[in-house]
Amino acid sequence: MGEANRQINEYLNRFSDAVSYQDGKSLSRLLSVSSDSASLLSLADALNIFQDANRVIRQSEKHSQYTDILVPIFRALQSYRLRNLVESYIAFERASNAFIQEFRNWDSAWALEALYVIAYEIRILAERADVELASFGKTPEKLKGAGSFLMKVFGVLAGKGPKRVGALYVTCQLFKIYFKLGTVHLCRSVIRSIETARIFDFEEFPVRDKVTYMYYTGRLEVYNENFPAADHKLSYALTHCSERKEENIRMILKYLIPVKLSIGILPRDSLLRKFNLNEYRDVVLALRRGDLRLLRHALQEHEDRFLRSGVYLVLEKLELQVYQRLIKKIYIIQKQKDPNKAHQIKLDVIVKVLKWLQIDMDIDEVECIMSILIYKNLVKGYFAHKSKVAVLSKQDPFPRLNGKPVSS
Amino acid sequence: MYQKHQIVDPHQAHTPYHSPKRAAMSWNMPGENHSSKENGLVTDANYIHNQQVEMTLRNDQNGINAASGASTSNSGATITTQGYSGYAVYPNTDSYGYTSTAYAGYYNGYQQQPNQYQQQPNQYQQQSSQYQQQYSQYQQQSNQYQQQSNQSYAHVGAYQNTGAQYEPLSSFQNTGSYAGPASYSSTYYNPGDYQTSGSYTSGTYASQTNLWQGQPYAAYNSEPYPNYTPDSNSSYSSTPSVATNHYQQHYKQWEDYYRQSQTEVSCAPGTEKLSSFSASSLSSSVPNANSGYIPSNNQMPVAYTPSWRPESGSSELTSLQPVTSSGSNAESYRIHGDSVIQNDPRNSLQMQVPNISGTVPTYESFQNKQNSTFSQDATTLYTSYQVHASSQPASQPLESLDARRVNKMQIPNNPRIASNLPLSVPKADKDNSMIGATAKPAYIGVSVQKPNEKVLTHDASDSMLKPGMFPKSLRGYVERALARCRDDRQIAACQVLMKEIITEATADGTLYTKDWDTEPILPLPSVDTVNKETAQLSILTSMMPGTKKSPTRRAKSRWEPIMDVSLAETSANRSERTPKYGGWNKQFTDRKIENKEDNLGNQLSSADPKVFSKNLTRPSKRQRLGDDLNALNDMDDSSDSDVEQSLTKYSATAVTLADSSEEKKRRENRSKRFEKKHGNRAQDIKLKANNVGSGSLYARRASALILSRNVEESGSRAVEDIDWDALTVKGSCQEIEKRYLRLTSAPDPATVRPEEVLEKALLMVQNSQKNYLYKCDQLKSIRQDLTVQHIRNELTVKVYEMHARLAMEVGDLPEFNQCQSQLKALYAEGIRGCNMEFAAYNLLCVILHSNNNREILSAMSRLSVDARKDEAVKHALSVHAAVTSGNYVTFFRLYKTAPNNSTFFMDLHVEKMRYSAVKCMCRSYRPTVPISYIAQILGFVNALPTTEASDHKEVDGGEECVDWLKAHGACLTSDNYGEVLLDTKASVPSLYMPEPEDAVAHGDASLAVNDFLTRSLA
Repeated sequence: MGEANRQINEYLNRFSDAVSYQDGKSLSRLLSVSSDSASLLSLADALNIFQDANRVIRQSEKHSQYTDILVPIFRALQSYRLRNLVESYIAFERASNAFIQEFRNWDSAWALEALYVIAYEIRILAERADVELASFGKTPEKLKGAGSFLMKVFGVLAGKGPKRVGALYVTCQLFKIYFKLGTVHLCRSVIRSIETARIFDFEEFPVRDKVTYMYYTGRLEVYNENFPAADHKLSYALTHCSERKEENIRMILKYLIPVKLSIGILPRDSLLRKFNLNEYRDVVLALRRGDLRLLRHALQEHEDRFLRSGVYLVLEKLELQVYQRLIKKIYIIQKQKDPNKAHQIKLDVIVKVLKWLQIDMDIDEVECIMSILIYKNLVKGYFAHKSKVAVLSKQDPFPRLNGKPVSS
Repeated sequence: MYQKHQIVDPHQAHTPYHSPKRAAMSWNMPGENHSSKENGLVTDANYIHNQQVEMTLRNDQNGINAASGASTSNSGATITTQGYSGYAVYPNTDSYGYTSTAYAGYYNGYQQQPNQYQQQPNQYQQQSSQYQQQYSQYQQQSNQYQQQSNQSYAHVGAYQNTGAQYEPLSSFQNTGSYAGPASYSSTYYNPGDYQTSGSYTSGTYASQTNLWQGQPYAAYNSEPYPNYTPDSNSSYSSTPSVATNHYQQHYKQWEDYYRQSQTEVSCAPGTEKLSSFSASSLSSSVPNANSGYIPSNNQMPVAYTPSWRPESGSSELTSLQPVTSSGSNAESYRIHGDSVIQNDPRNSLQMQVPNISGTVPTYESFQNKQNSTFSQDATTLYTSYQVHASSQPASQPLESLDARRVNKMQIPNNPRIASNLPLSVPKADKDNSMIGATAKPAYIGVSVQKPNEKVLTHDASDSMLKPGMFPKSLRGYVERALARCRDDRQIAACQVLMKEIITEATADGTLYTKDWDTEPILPLPSVDTVNKETAQLSILTSMMPGTKKSPTRRAKSRWEPIMDVSLAETSANRSERTPKYGGWNKQFTDRKIENKEDNLGNQLSSADPKVFSKNLTRPSKRQRLGDDLNALNDMDDSSDSDVEQSLTKYSATAVTLADSSEEKKRRENRSKRFEKKHGNRAQDIKLKANNVGSGSLYARRASALILSRNVEESGSRAVEDIDWDALTVKGSCQEIEKRYLRLTSAPDPATVRPEEVLEKALLMVQNSQKNYLYKCDQLKSIRQDLTVQHIRNELTVKVYEMHARLAMEVGDLPEFNQCQSQLKALYAEGIRGCNMEFAAYNLLCVILHSNNNREILSAMSRLSVDARKDEAVKHALSVHAAVTSGNYVTFFRLYKTAPNNSTFFMDLHVEKMRYSAVKCMCRSYRPTVPISYIAQILGFVNALPTTEASDHKEVDGGEECVDWLKAHGACLTSDNYGEVLLDTKASVPSLYMPEPEDAVAHGDASLAVNDFLTRSLA
């Protein structure tokens, strides 16, 4: 009992001290409910033993001014310890609300770190609470609630002054929530304020937030099939991402590779192996070889994964590039045989090649494919319908994409 | 107006309306005494008055009105005064024969109304079994009332049961303090008074008032409560001793009470008798009325169904009314019965039966005696009956008995409904509502049309719906809502809610315009602990066989930790309960005091509109009590929103009820829950329309009610355990063909086709040669009937699938989307149909029309492994591949081989595909492309639905292709052999996409009427 009381008092003192000394770091440590840190866990135990913590808070004047924060925080810690995550989330949100009120009144941005912790905790707790809710057969709604709470936090930060650099962190937490919830369209408003508001200078934000931000906005561009923009954002994220964060790099590459593929840039196999992106290896190989069958097979094999990550449609469109590669191979072979007639490719030949690949296409379809290749500028030349021959340009018949997407 | 009147009435208007001497006085008195709660009562009284007026005048409702109204109003005033100041007034009022009866009704209404109000708050907090709750509430209220005011007692009187219980209390009579007992008796008497009018009441009331004011609440508490509890429902509070054993006794007691009331002159009896007598004497009509009632009752039983419809005539109306009234009565019955049941679970069934029988006899006797005996329990009912009776004299006791029984049976259902209706009434038609409660039946015939009646219904929450009062659909709505209730509490809460809703609707003026059929039923409110207790007490309509059936008795729901009231409940439970009740008594005493104080303060204080809102928003918080009271007071003062006020009142009362911190807590939770639901209610649930079998309409309803009752009995049903199916009713229409009309009221079972007929109808549509418009109309009506009957099976799927296909064929995308979304839900329920076919449609729809990558991704990732093997789905996926790669050859091949109706979706994409194909060809082909090839590749040949001979097809396709190319700006040449060629190079810059000819400003060509008609009429 005495020990419990001591621990509670210690926590309270540390809290008050952190606030009065404007020590954001130690304050943030006191707030990270889900960190499972030893001190917080033992505090939670102490709280469960010593039931009258609220009275302790109210007794002391220096603590009682933060009653609104401390009481729910204790509650959240207790509930978290008891694995009652919904309760914990609710209490924590209450504490966060009170904290935001205080935060507003602090002129300097010393507490940003604590605010980061709050934004992070609220998301993590909400996610866990939703899992708990779902296991009870109830509607998981806490993450959504966390989203709207963070929007409020964003509003607190998105103003002039030193606190604005914290806005991007909150934005990233919001992205995480929205992507998880599948309500990606909600990102738009936040992005707009980040990218258009003059108070924000993007380079001013912390690197880690910039990387995260670029990663998510890059993913959005992938959805929109805006490959140049996606390439730019994801490449930014990749180059600024800490080399030690391999998992993060992998996540970025997961989207960057398809984007690069669709603009004609193939990764080295070692890269794929290094980051364990094996699902792309066959795809890349198919592109190299012009092996249509392999591409289709790879797509089918990893269909679920690609569909979930949202790159399926992107990869699907690589088919034309594989055709291009295939035609190019034919062209090269023909050139070796008879350089003079190499630029004339008969449809029959292509049909035969496809048959070797065990792909059954008739001449009309192949004609159509050739027509599309020419139309999309993957093959230079023209098609003579009468003779069923594709006549390739003598100069650079297979233009490289060179970082530009296949024209539509 | 009504609201205003009502509001005003209590304090201000009463005097004017009831100008009568005492009226003002009395009003003030009550207002003072009862302040908020009383106000509610007062308002009720006003309503009652109005009702009475309606009764008499029918039309005067609004006016409170007119001469007759005046008379009635006077009477009402007197009545109110009675309730408030003293019954002395009653005698005066007695002279108004009508009024007397009306009063009874009114009183009932009063009591009920107050109850309702309280209930409403409760409902807000909880929503639950309406009637039982009401009863319980009533009881509670009564308790509260007692505590709070005489009026409450009067209300209590409404509780009759309690009164009966009180009888044992004879102490009341004995105790000079009467206040408690007197009040009870008075209340009981009130009914009697109503009927009889009330010398009784006046006397009793006066005594009550005096007592109230003078006597300490404690006295009240001690006497009335204990008595109450034991008598009324052991469960109540009646703490201790009595409660458990007494049920049976209670029954007897009741009978005794009735008799006692007659015999036990002391206070109540005498008053009752006097009142009744006086009433009878005053108005011969009263006795007649009684007799009439009986007949009405008889009629009721005879024609359950008819009663509903006002058309049936006065008799029917009366029957209905009786039902309603009986509902109130029934409530009392139920209360008795319930109490009995509850008290004596063992006996419950038996007891019930005996009780019923006993009650019936008593009723008879009552009738014979003229309400006196009944006055207490039956009084209200009887009064109402009498009122009715007044309209219809002569009745046969036996029949009446039967009728009563029947009523009882029906009552549960009806009362609920009625109660619901009453809710609505208060707003617009408080006056009428009042009438409705008591006099409704009789009045109905007269004043059915008036909104005021609704008010009556409020009063007599129990009181049946007045057939005329509310639209059928509303009734259906209420029924549905009530039928969902499994508990007394739920019912009570539900009733409160219904009232609220109806009041709102009336206030909005949407009562008659609202589509109640489609109005979502509110989620059941959780019942407050109070309600729980009351519920236990409350009459579980359980008396009926239904209880036996009660299939749904469930384990305690989370919400109702206390206990499940089941027939099989053990005495132990009872004993447990009793202590609680004891606790209640204490609470009550406290509350009484508080209430008094508050009331006084309130009286003084002027209305604060804000308070209302507060109260409304937080009805459950006890701290708000003061506010609530103020609000109540305000009610009187401000005539703004009666409903709100009433609600607040109720809430206040409800709040007061819950004392123990435990209960508070629970209540808070519930109320929160409720609030939430309340907010969402509109969106929450689709109403199931209930279609009642033509012949067995009532039976069905009754059964549904019984079911619900059973549920109620079972004690506590969690909201989530609602038995929706209990609401499902069957249509009886045998017509195969039926035009679609958007429902604007509750579906009439007579016009709803049962499943067998719907099957035939579907077949008929299938084989029909008529155009799409006709078929669409027919299918929509089929769909409607299915929805209304809550049929969700293969037939439903078939109908939707067929409609979806037809819609596709004519390009009716909106209709298709409706069907598609329904089908998705149906398939998700595991009902088999052409799942794959429609999965493919869905896919195509997304691929070809939404063009949103995320949607496509999610649609594709949702496909199961099985689905991917399906031909149609495969086809759709191939289409997707062809479209993304721009492979026009594949696309048009797939177009030609499209399974089912997939062609339709592809149709919508053909133009786009052709255009991009031609563009592509112009870029890649040199120098020319023969048209014949293009026509073949781009599906001009076979895609055309040409009816010409097959050998012309090619040519036609080519011509079509030429036309199409020309329309899109292509340059055509011809070679030496006369073959038309596409000059690709020349065409590159000149190609364009012509504006679609059928473009419409709103972007959806299918909405262009002419075009649509020509297509679909073809």
